[in-house]
Amino acid sequence: MLKVHNLSKNYGSRSVLNDVSFNVKEGEVIGLVGENGAGKSTLLQILATLQRPTSGSITLYDKSYENKKKLRKEIGFVPQDIAIWDEFTVEENMVFFEKLAWGNKTKDQLKKLCLDMKLDRWKEPVTSLSGGMKRKLNIAISLIHDPNLLLLDEPTVGIDLKSRKEIGNYLQRLASDKGKIILYTSHDMDEIITLCDRIVCIGEDPFYQDLLQKAGKSIIPV
Amino acid sequence: MKAIVQTRLIHLKKHWVSLIFWLAFPVIATVAIMGLTNSLQQDSKVPVGIVLEETTPLATTLVDSIKRTPIIQVYQLSEEEALYQLQQHKLDSVFIIQDGYEEQIMKGSRNRLIKSYRSDLSFAYTPIAEMIISYVQQDTGRTKAAYTIQELNKQYSNSTQNWTWGEIIEKSKDIEKEENLLYTTFRFFNADTEADANQFVLFNPWGLWAVFAFLSTCMIMDWIIKERRKSLTPRFSFMHISLKSYLLKNAGLYLLLFIIVDIMTLILFKFNMREVITQDLIGSILSFRLILLMGAFLLAILSTRLPTYYGISFILTLIIAIISGAILPNEGLMTQYPWLEIANPLAPFLSREIGYGWFIVFGSLIGIWFVRKEKRNVKGA
Ligand SMILES: Nc1ncnc2c1ncn2[C@@H]1O[C@H](COP(=O)(O)OP(=O)(O)O)[C@@H](O)[C@H]1O
Ligand SMILES: [Mg+2]
Repeated sequence: MLKVHNLSKNYGSRSVLNDVSFNVKEGEVIGLVGENGAGKSTLLQILATLQRPTSGSITLYDKSYENKKKLRKEIGFVPQDIAIWDEFTVEENMVFFEKLAWGNKTKDQLKKLCLDMKLDRWKEPVTSLSGGMKRKLNIAISLIHDPNLLLLDEPTVGIDLKSRKEIGNYLQRLASDKGKIILYTSHDMDEIITLCDRIVCIGEDPFYQDLLQKAGKSIIPV
Repeated sequence: MKAIVQTRLIHLKKHWVSLIFWLAFPVIATVAIMGLTNSLQQDSKVPVGIVLEETTPLATTLVDSIKRTPIIQVYQLSEEEALYQLQQHKLDSVFIIQDGYEEQIMKGSRNRLIKSYRSDLSFAYTPIAEMIISYVQQDTGRTKAAYTIQELNKQYSNSTQNWTWGEIIEKSKDIEKEENLLYTTFRFFNADTEADANQFVLFNPWGLWAVFAFLSTCMIMDWIIKERRKSLTPRFSFMHISLKSYLLKNAGLYLLLFIIVDIMTLILFKFNMREVITQDLIGSILSFRLILLMGAFLLAILSTRLPTYYGISFILTLIIAIISGAILPNEGLMTQYPWLEIANPLAPFLSREIGYGWFIVFGSLIGIWFVRKEKRNVKGA
């Protein structure tokens, strides 16, 4: 269970998040929507312990966010900017991050992790991969240490429909089969509507809320 | 540490060619420049043909003395070959040490000891001839002195007739005068040629090496900037090693690699340039290497862009080369700004000392960098 209570974030005098509260259960996929600059990335970074909230509290499995070091083993964070070694192959990227990650995985396990997302270019250099393949690798690396809370910042931005579906299906399976808690942002409303159990609307703009209500989705009030 | 080695190897696999190039660069550049200046020195020597008609000790010693003269390149040939090459102007002049040289010297005779040839293009004939004559005179002088003393001895012990005081003085003055004369001629040439030779030894191999090592260390440590790329920093928060530890531990690996290469350099210089390996030299190399690595590390930490880093590295190399006197003589600079000597990170190494100053400065800066908390606002993540 992830509990977010009265979370606020100011950058200087500028308020980005204002009293955000919601709970997420294991096995749930939560979508974060909102216009550009609404604070989606900021919320994900706070949940990933990469930034401190100005006020409010967060707990994951009843553990407070004070002890960052311990918490991070539970968290898989997929950055919005693709964070991989461009000069490596898929295999080298996976092996590199496995060596520095908590826990151990064999090469076969790493390969399977990629194949689960239909990333099959194991020996190929990253430079020859399509955008979709790179995004998949970006996700796979974040999953090496088997985190329970998955935070993905626009994991499917700018890639083809087939790759988007493959990534979406994979996330859904992670939630339903392994009970992971998944929060992710996207600007693709169709994707959000089909994939997410519930949705958090960030920001003041009523546009997204109206849209989601029409689609009959459950909106988490924040 | 095993993980660090394994991950480092993946990186090294991608650019091992440039790594090996830069590791070998200081040695290769130093050896090349030393070789070049040596061959320049070789080219500027006057080619002289020597024909040796007898192989008596005195004759061969004479040839050896001529060969040791820095400005002369001696070619020992047969008379026929020597004269042919003289005609072709491949030799400046030819000197034939004639049969009976030693015998004549022993007898104190100075006639027709050496026959010489010159061509219409000989430009160094006169000084070389004079120099050779001075060597010969040295030999004749010595023999003469020995002979005289022998004679004196004989006369003194064997005959009842006493030498007058005046006679001995006269005799010794005679010898002294001759010896002095020879001595000055000899000195003149030697001093001259020694000065010439010194001008060619512009570079101290370790000084050159140190300047190139500075540049190569900076070039090799560019991995810090490449691997500290912004997009990847959030990843290190979710690994068992922080980005800072990752950088420091990898720098430690590089230090090890550098030390291995430095030891190889030391061995190579020992055989190639007859360097004597002393404890001081080893100590100063190790401390120099540590300072270099720490300096490059800090520079890379402070630079965010590769071109800036490369630019600063080149400029610093140039500055250090100048204040170390590797390119230009810098006596004036040093007396005018004595702090340059203190500030120069190469200075302790060049005087075979351990540079504590820079070590302490760099060490504390790296320490501060390591414990300082990074700002948590990770932009673009
Ligand atoms: N480190 C930061 N310092 C100051 N302002 C920031 C910082 N990060 C984000 N912001 C601002 O906070 C607002 C929300 O940003 P962000 O969370 O990236 O929005 P979103 O991901 O929803 O587009 C933006 O206006 C942005 O300019
Ligand atoms: Mg964003």
